[in-house]
Amino acid sequence: MRVSQEWLSEFVDLDGLTSKRIDELLTLSGTEVERVSEFARGLDEVVVAEVVELGRMEGSDHLWLAKVRVPGEEPVEVVCGAPNLTLGARVAWGRPGSELPGGMKLGQRRIRGVVSNGMICAPDELGLGQDHEGVLLLPAGEVEPGEPLSRVFPPDTIYELEILSHRADCLSHWGVARELAAVLDRSLREPVLSQPQRGGPAADESVRVSIEGGADCPIYLAECVDQLGAGPAPLWLQRRLMAVGSRSISAMVDLANYVMLELGQPVHTFDLDRMPGAPGRVEIGVRGGRPGETLACLDGVVRRLDQDALMITADDHPVALAGVIGGSETAVQSDTTRIVLEAANFNWVSIRKTARRLGIRTEASSRFERSLSAALVPVAAQRFIHLVEAVAGGRVRPGPVIAGAVPAPTAPIRVSCRRISALLGLEVGPDQAAGALRRLQFEVEVSGDELQVVPAAVRTDVHIAEDVTEEVGRILGYDLVPATLPALRTPPSGHPGLVSADRLAGEICLGAGFTEAITSSLVSQERVGVVRGLGAGVSPIRIANPLSSQLGDLRVSCLPALLDACRLNQSRGGERTQLFEWGRVFWPSADRSGRPEEPEVLALVDHSAGARPRGEGEPLDQLLQVVQALAERVSLNSVEFRPARHPGFHPQRSAQLWVDGELRGILGEVDPGVDSAFELRGSTVVAEVRVDGWLVDGGRPGRGMSLAKTPPLSLDLAVTVPERAELGPALAAVRSAEIAELEEIRLLDQYRGRQLPPGTKGWTFRLLFRHPEKTLTHLQGEQLRSQVLAALGAVGAAVRAGSA
Amino acid sequence: MTEGDLRALGDQALEEIAGAVDVDQLELVRLKYLARHQGLISSGAQALAQAPSEQRAALGRAFNSVKQGTEAALERRLEEFQLALRELAAEGQWLDLTYPSAPLPRGHQHPLGRLIREIEDIGTALGYESVRGPEVEDDQFNFELLNLPPEHPARDAHDTFYLEGPAGWLLRTQTSPVQLRTMMAGPPPYRILAPGKVYRRDNPDPTHSPVFHQLEGLCVDEGVTLGDLKGTLTYFLQAIFGEERRIRLRSSFFAFTEPSLEADVSCWFCQGEGCRSCLGKGWIEVLGSGMVHPQVLRNAGIDPERYSGFAFGMGPDRITALKYGLEDIRDLYENDLRLLENF
Repeated sequence: MRVSQEWLSEFVDLDGLTSKRIDELLTLSGTEVERVSEFARGLDEVVVAEVVELGRMEGSDHLWLAKVRVPGEEPVEVVCGAPNLTLGARVAWGRPGSELPGGMKLGQRRIRGVVSNGMICAPDELGLGQDHEGVLLLPAGEVEPGEPLSRVFPPDTIYELEILSHRADCLSHWGVARELAAVLDRSLREPVLSQPQRGGPAADESVRVSIEGGADCPIYLAECVDQLGAGPAPLWLQRRLMAVGSRSISAMVDLANYVMLELGQPVHTFDLDRMPGAPGRVEIGVRGGRPGETLACLDGVVRRLDQDALMITADDHPVALAGVIGGSETAVQSDTTRIVLEAANFNWVSIRKTARRLGIRTEASSRFERSLSAALVPVAAQRFIHLVEAVAGGRVRPGPVIAGAVPAPTAPIRVSCRRISALLGLEVGPDQAAGALRRLQFEVEVSGDELQVVPAAVRTDVHIAEDVTEEVGRILGYDLVPATLPALRTPPSGHPGLVSADRLAGEICLGAGFTEAITSSLVSQERVGVVRGLGAGVSPIRIANPLSSQLGDLRVSCLPALLDACRLNQSRGGERTQLFEWGRVFWPSADRSGRPEEPEVLALVDHSAGARPRGEGEPLDQLLQVVQALAERVSLNSVEFRPARHPGFHPQRSAQLWVDGELRGILGEVDPGVDSAFELRGSTVVAEVRVDGWLVDGGRPGRGMSLAKTPPLSLDLAVTVPERAELGPALAAVRSAEIAELEEIRLLDQYRGRQLPPGTKGWTFRLLFRHPEKTLTHLQGEQLRSQVLAALGAVGAAVRAGSA
Repeated sequence: MTEGDLRALGDQALEEIAGAVDVDQLELVRLKYLARHQGLISSGAQALAQAPSEQRAALGRAFNSVKQGTEAALERRLEEFQLALRELAAEGQWLDLTYPSAPLPRGHQHPLGRLIREIEDIGTALGYESVRGPEVEDDQFNFELLNLPPEHPARDAHDTFYLEGPAGWLLRTQTSPVQLRTMMAGPPPYRILAPGKVYRRDNPDPTHSPVFHQLEGLCVDEGVTLGDLKGTLTYFLQAIFGEERRIRLRSSFFAFTEPSLEADVSCWFCQGEGCRSCLGKGWIEVLGSGMVHPQVLRNAGIDPERYSGFAFGMGPDRITALKYGLEDIRDLYENDLRLLENF
């Protein structure tokens, strides 16, 4: 919302304050200033001139050739294309050699053979708004030709404000002035409401108002005004509207706008003679819409109404969408002489729903939907009536006609200063607190430590002691509150000494060369289908109202997004992309309506765009080692890699990770089909491990540990095994043989060659034996080695001929 | 053998030691003079025994001095040879130390992850525990129990994604439900930080991503004040943005806090002078906060007459972008290594 400093000054004295100071005062107290700008600066070189001759340019259907005159000078010719130019008009003329506020230099220009002297300016060219539909026309009686425009438009400062959603009372100049008066501790001037002499038949002879039972309208006030003249609003009013970016349309429309921008209460004007029903008599109703009803609105759209939409009717015909927009058929026009003024309050929820459902947002609806105070209704009506004669020359009929009433104020809020002080952490005495609140026009009664507070009638946001505390705090200023830290009365929860599993996993992944990735949880359906990692067999949860199909599903696995990141890096010249992500995935509950599961997973990808790095299967080996290291560091029991077929993975180069008999992970090379779906060249290995519940063993005391002092005995064992024998099961078999003295078994070498029988390969192990108390003899060592060999029989190992 | 003879022998030995060209020659010199029985100097010991008793003391001193001098000279010369040999051997082992070899594997932290961990660590110092909550929530937890009934105007900023199905699940639009879940799980006091992903149906642009992060803090105990909030935020924000930053609190509105405050940090690009990054204001808005609304405490089963507390929430995406001068927060979700490798 834009407010003008000149207009604010009508209600509060702002003398001696810079715009920076005003900005700061408003911002700190909750009315955030987004931008401060100047209005009507640099108009010294533009003058008021009179159009003394006007004709079409030869050969043009839209260009005028005008002669403009300022006193004491010869009239000069100006070419102008504005449709609203008329003979005798007072216009803003920039003479040759002058400069416009935007920095534009004017001169003499030859247009179609005519010399055009300077320019007749439109409001936007003068920095007086965005309007470029025509030139600026000034009311003849209020300006003198020759007068500099800077005298017609004195400079002003405009504040663009962001009003907090609960502060409907601040959506006006009066409201913002009230805030400034409070923070400055200056007095707030009330709007002038003196009423003109009323005349003619009483308003209720022409207008009756009824509010349907249960309708969301506590009060509806109508006034009648006759004998309206034609013509624009006075300059001072137009100027204020222009200053805050509102276009001047006609005296009646401008006045309604003016009252709203000044007091925050939207008011609406109907042309009495265009209302349905008997001429000059109207039954106004407030009720819900009926099926089949439509309303042609002021914005040119015909809207279908429903029973939730609150309507204003005349003789039971819809004439306005209450609090949102008026109907076009009953709108005030240039020939209007009699109006019905509506000032009413509507329930904010109703207005909000209607505006949202019908997809319109107007100045009126955006005010009503934030809960305006009904107390504004009579004030706004009186202000309109006070101004109408001066602005549009009307005569006000005796009235008003009122249905409903301003709700009585609720009981005072009781709050103790002890409580205010305790919440703020600042000692606030009763006089200090009461003083701050009175600056906001609150009524306060002090008895001892306790305050009884009645908020200003325009405020709809102050209900409880904490609300009052906030008002005291922000008006006194939070600067006063000393910065302290809360006492730590009990030990902090959690154990800061323990590294969390995600941190530890991160360190391991970083150390292995993987970079941390964070990807979106919203994915496209096609991507979800290609590779599902641990989420294989899970059908993704769909978003009911996605922004696009690209973001339509919740991920079931982190892998698709990581593969997308690989593709992105490949396309930007990356040779190798190694990423890991520790994140949530989403799996539907078994019955699809319960709370979805949100498993945490650790996913890794290693993509090489070019030839695979040295050594067969190296990235996969590395990935296995990373996963193994992770499993060890989080003290998982019985981790096992099982060869397995998993959708999206290379059938011969992938394994599942089983922990305590449960499938917890999958890793391997992706299926070539996945590579091509993600447009990845080269090779890609991935892993995804479910990590929820992972804990880091902090090395708690308890486990006994003694280190044997006896020397180890090292022996090698060479065996042949079938070509497809796997090392994992072989080592598992040795482990399960539980040979107490076997401290370590390590594969030294795997080889294939002509010396070996076809379909076999050779493994050489280094075995390390140790007995805790005695030194092992070579003979004992050989016996132990035989036990190892026997265990390896499980994978078909035979001792290799010629080796010991 | 006289003392003079001995000295002359010593000088001669030193000369030959200096003249030896390798270890073998040196050994020959050693044997010539110092071999236990036939060595020219060693045999001086026999002469000493035969010397008249009045000369024996002086001769003995001369003998010892010559013998020790010769031995020391041999030792030094040997060291010289060994040093030269080592140099010679090393010469053949020359390495180009600037030759690039395979680098040590090193991954990089994501700036967003890094910032969140940094804030968690700051919190640890103040006794805050890091917790997580579900990202799928319902209207109750995401809105209603936080004082945001249907049609509340503050919901305008929370355009919400709903999940398909009749159950009405939604993706949380804020991390604030974690406050409730924490308070409902056990009695006060609480000090928690809750980072995590949140979702809003905002069209993506340089400052909006439909998926982004929030980091929520909550402290509830007896006697917690707005002054405590101020002190805590000052500590957090100076730890994140630098000790020299100034912090300013301004009045604001959140449905689940009362009073509500927005915290600004003095602009670190222009030191508060006003520049493009702070839109000329000299201050950068970094978080929302306030004293937990008594109704929210009651909703979580906590007596607001006895307990009070504060909450604050910030947007790590925006802070990351501001802190590192990122122009488009969507870049944080692309995982372009050229960006990530800076961290």
